[in-house]
Amino acid sequence: MILSPEVLTLLILDFLFVLFTSIVFVISLQIWKSWDLNSTLASQYTLEKRSFLASTIIKFIFVIKIPLFLFFIFTLDKISNVLTGAMCGAGVLDATDVGNYLIMLKVINIYLFAFWLVLNNSDLQNPTQPYTKLKFALFSFIYILLIFEIYLEVDMFFSFEIEKLVSCCGSLYSSSSDSLISALFHVDNSLLVSLFYVNYLFLVIFYFFKNNYFFALSNTLFVINSVFSLIMFFGTYIYELPSHHCPFCFLQTDYYFVGYFLYGALFMGTFNGLVVIFKNELKYYKISMLFNSLYLVVVSLYVGVYYIRNGVLLSPM
Amino acid sequence: MIELKDINKIYQVNKYNKVVALKGINLSIKEGSVVVLKGASGSGKSTILSLIAALGKPTSGEVVVDSVHISKLTDNFASAFRSKNIGIVFQKYNLISSLSVKENIILPLIPSNPDALELEKKLQKVLEMFEIVDKKEILVKNLSGGQQQRVAIARAYIDNPKIIIADEPTANLDEKLSLRFIEILRGLKQENKTIIVATHDPLFFGLDFVDEEIEIKDGHLV
Amino acid sequence: MKKMINFYLLEYAIGSLVRQKSKNIFITIILSLLTFLLTAVFFITSSIRYELNQTVDALPEIIVAQTKGGKHYDIDVSKADSILSITGINSAIPRVWGYYYFKNAGVNFSLVGVGEFEDDYKEILENGLLIGRGVRDVLKKSYFKEYFNFILSDGSLLKLDIKGEFDADTELESNDMILMSKDNLRKIFDIDETKATDIVVSVANPDEVQTVASKIQLLFPNTRIITKNDLKISYQNIFDYKGGVFLALFIISLFTFFIIIYDKASGLTSEQTREIGILKAVGFTIEDILKEKFYEGIIISLFAYIIGVILAFTFVYIFNAPLLQNIFTGYSELKTSFTLPFILDIQTLVIVFFLSVPIYISATIIPSWRVATMDAEEVMR
Ligand SMILES: Nc1ncnc2c1ncn2[C@@H]1O[C@H](COP(=O)(O)OP(=O)(O)O)[C@@H](O)[C@H]1O
Ligand SMILES: [Mg+2]
Repeated sequence: MILSPEVLTLLILDFLFVLFTSIVFVISLQIWKSWDLNSTLASQYTLEKRSFLASTIIKFIFVIKIPLFLFFIFTLDKISNVLTGAMCGAGVLDATDVGNYLIMLKVINIYLFAFWLVLNNSDLQNPTQPYTKLKFALFSFIYILLIFEIYLEVDMFFSFEIEKLVSCCGSLYSSSSDSLISALFHVDNSLLVSLFYVNYLFLVIFYFFKNNYFFALSNTLFVINSVFSLIMFFGTYIYELPSHHCPFCFLQTDYYFVGYFLYGALFMGTFNGLVVIFKNELKYYKISMLFNSLYLVVVSLYVGVYYIRNGVLLSPM
Repeated sequence: MIELKDINKIYQVNKYNKVVALKGINLSIKEGSVVVLKGASGSGKSTILSLIAALGKPTSGEVVVDSVHISKLTDNFASAFRSKNIGIVFQKYNLISSLSVKENIILPLIPSNPDALELEKKLQKVLEMFEIVDKKEILVKNLSGGQQQRVAIARAYIDNPKIIIADEPTANLDEKLSLRFIEILRGLKQENKTIIVATHDPLFFGLDFVDEEIEIKDGHLV
Repeated sequence: MKKMINFYLLEYAIGSLVRQKSKNIFITIILSLLTFLLTAVFFITSSIRYELNQTVDALPEIIVAQTKGGKHYDIDVSKADSILSITGINSAIPRVWGYYYFKNAGVNFSLVGVGEFEDDYKEILENGLLIGRGVRDVLKKSYFKEYFNFILSDGSLLKLDIKGEFDADTELESNDMILMSKDNLRKIFDIDETKATDIVVSVANPDEVQTVASKIQLLFPNTRIITKNDLKISYQNIFDYKGGVFLALFIISLFTFFIIIYDKASGLTSEQTREIGILKAVGFTIEDILKEKFYEGIIISLFAYIIGVILAFTFVYIFNAPLLQNIFTGYSELKTSFTLPFILDIQTLVIVFFLSVPIYISATIIPSWRVATMDAEEVMR
């Protein structure tokens, strides 16, 4: 078990989240059971008021969750100094059975929270509040995921054994290990990269046709394609090492924290791309395209600059 | 157009005590008209005003303003409705006494996150209109009753509402100031505002620019 | 594009804070104290950790110590040669050193022996001493200025001259140190020529430390092998642990603080209730009022956070943290007498931020919501 100040801070805030989201969960159940906007009963007025408490709490948690996620990654990096063998956050995550699921769950939850807030916003802009029951049903689901996330996080921090040797990211993300990601090594790089660019082309097409469902679908795929091609191809140009496939190391100082920028742009781009399901407004299409393009340009630049400087690519495509 | 249809309003004071404030009220007020609601204290005038301003909900019946059922609005939409349509001059003015005249008057503009220039323009206009330009930075608690009342009207007027509501506006004024207030109302009538005044002050009875006088007694119209 | 911050609302929020002066000053003081304490503790630990890491970095990569049944004994000097035969090793040098208890002052000195080949220390080879600054101050109090008498195991005295003092890069470890020749040290601790306190091993490639360590262990099963990394981790753990204890105390204070804030934010005067009614009557929505309350919360908590951090800075780096630093250093009296090196530790600032601002805001959520959803009907009366 590791009980550093960083970990304790995360645990304290987790506790706070559980406390507050549980309040929201109870409100969600009440609303699901007896919400009726046409009713003039006092109980309905109470529910209307409580729905504001719920959305305030969710907003609050979302706003904290984003910087806290970065802090979480920082903490992992710091723990990697203590765990023998781990050189960055990836090794730390792998030191426990749950680490990799935890990080995925964290990302999914951030998307879901953001999604909930957009839904809430469109709901409140309509006098008939058409999505109220839906949004609280959705929240009950998010609540379960969040509790699971916190459970995994607590479990992870309690199951670290400092003496245990862990693998570093070099061996984690290589063809010899048997993790999920290593399956990727059997896929051709050129295929991954082409998929990435073709996917972007689809984004552009649906942007011009303003087809919200296909635009959102392309964005979902874009997250997956981007992360895979980043690990397998673009990342190696950031490290300038053909064998270094780690989605965490470029979050560190040595690479000017470019990872935060890349993941941030990808989040902003794809998230706004998903929002169009609910709000078919030009604004979201634009923001989405802007950030997705920014992401694409930056990763491509890494490859381009390397090629210009060295006249060759890192590995044959 | 403001319409009250079969309005009943019962205040639940506590578990055992109810007050029936309004019984079967039907009323309609045309746009641009000036209406005086008269009746003894406790007859239900303020209650009617609060329903029109969507500050409260009727126990039964409907309030419709410009074909919006305001008695059905949620709290937020009620606020938005007031912000857009209604300016209220309260009986006790309801100013925040430790804020300056300016700070009080601009309150209705704040939620829209106004541009500074535009705000100053609006502010200057009402300060001049209600003759309180020199009082701009003075704390409200240091003003006289008549000045406070003009600040209250300026606040009600600044966001250019269609409907202006005044509850016992002259209750705390002497006759001279009361007549001055009446002149202000006359000016507003010229701007085609709908004006509803609840009062039992005889100065308001039989005025030439008032379109209708409605008398109420123990919660129903006479 | 709409402006992100509503400055008029912000102005209103500030005014509203000022109008309830006494309550808000009280809250600010408590929150500042809280952040001050936490920041100060973290500043001290990270400074000390920095010192220790520096010290550890200067340490040898591997230390080999003899054990018998888990107890520490002197090691055969000859083992150094056997160790040297392992591939990848640069050097294996026997060391003699130990703690000497100076009864007069009730403190321990670390005595370290210097070998014949270390040119820097020629001057003390005969019967000389080099001492750390802390040692100098202690000896002065006992009127030893030019020499010092060590008591040998047979009760006789060994008089050695003080040749000077040394400045070291890190003060924590060297403050209590005395350097002398190995021969004199052997006399003091009664160690014969074939024995040494331990053997230090340096390795050519840092990545191989772990492998080399296990090879030595295989060669001499009853020795204890300590790598530099082991030391680093144990230091880190000690400090994380002590910081953790403080954090546990902090959690309790935080909880108390939460309750106080909750209580303070819930208690509304009739004047405040009326104000909210007025705001709603002139068109503020629930969100507008929540936003105003949020502004109030952010202003007061950020302000208190900044004050707390500044206070902690002053306390730790200008006044050198009286009282608090003893808790973390106090192994022996001597070791506390060092100045804390200035480390701007962003991570600490982030941790303290997460533990103050969001906690404060969260404590005001429910009270603010109560206020914002109050019925406005009463303003008409
Ligand atoms: N919030 C309230 N709770 C309980 N009773 C109320 C409330 N507001 C008004 N009343 C009662 O309703 C009746 C009508 O009041 P009101 O409309 O204020 O009359 P008016 O304005 O004509 O003096 C009075 O008996 C008053 O006591
Ligand atoms: Mg009244």
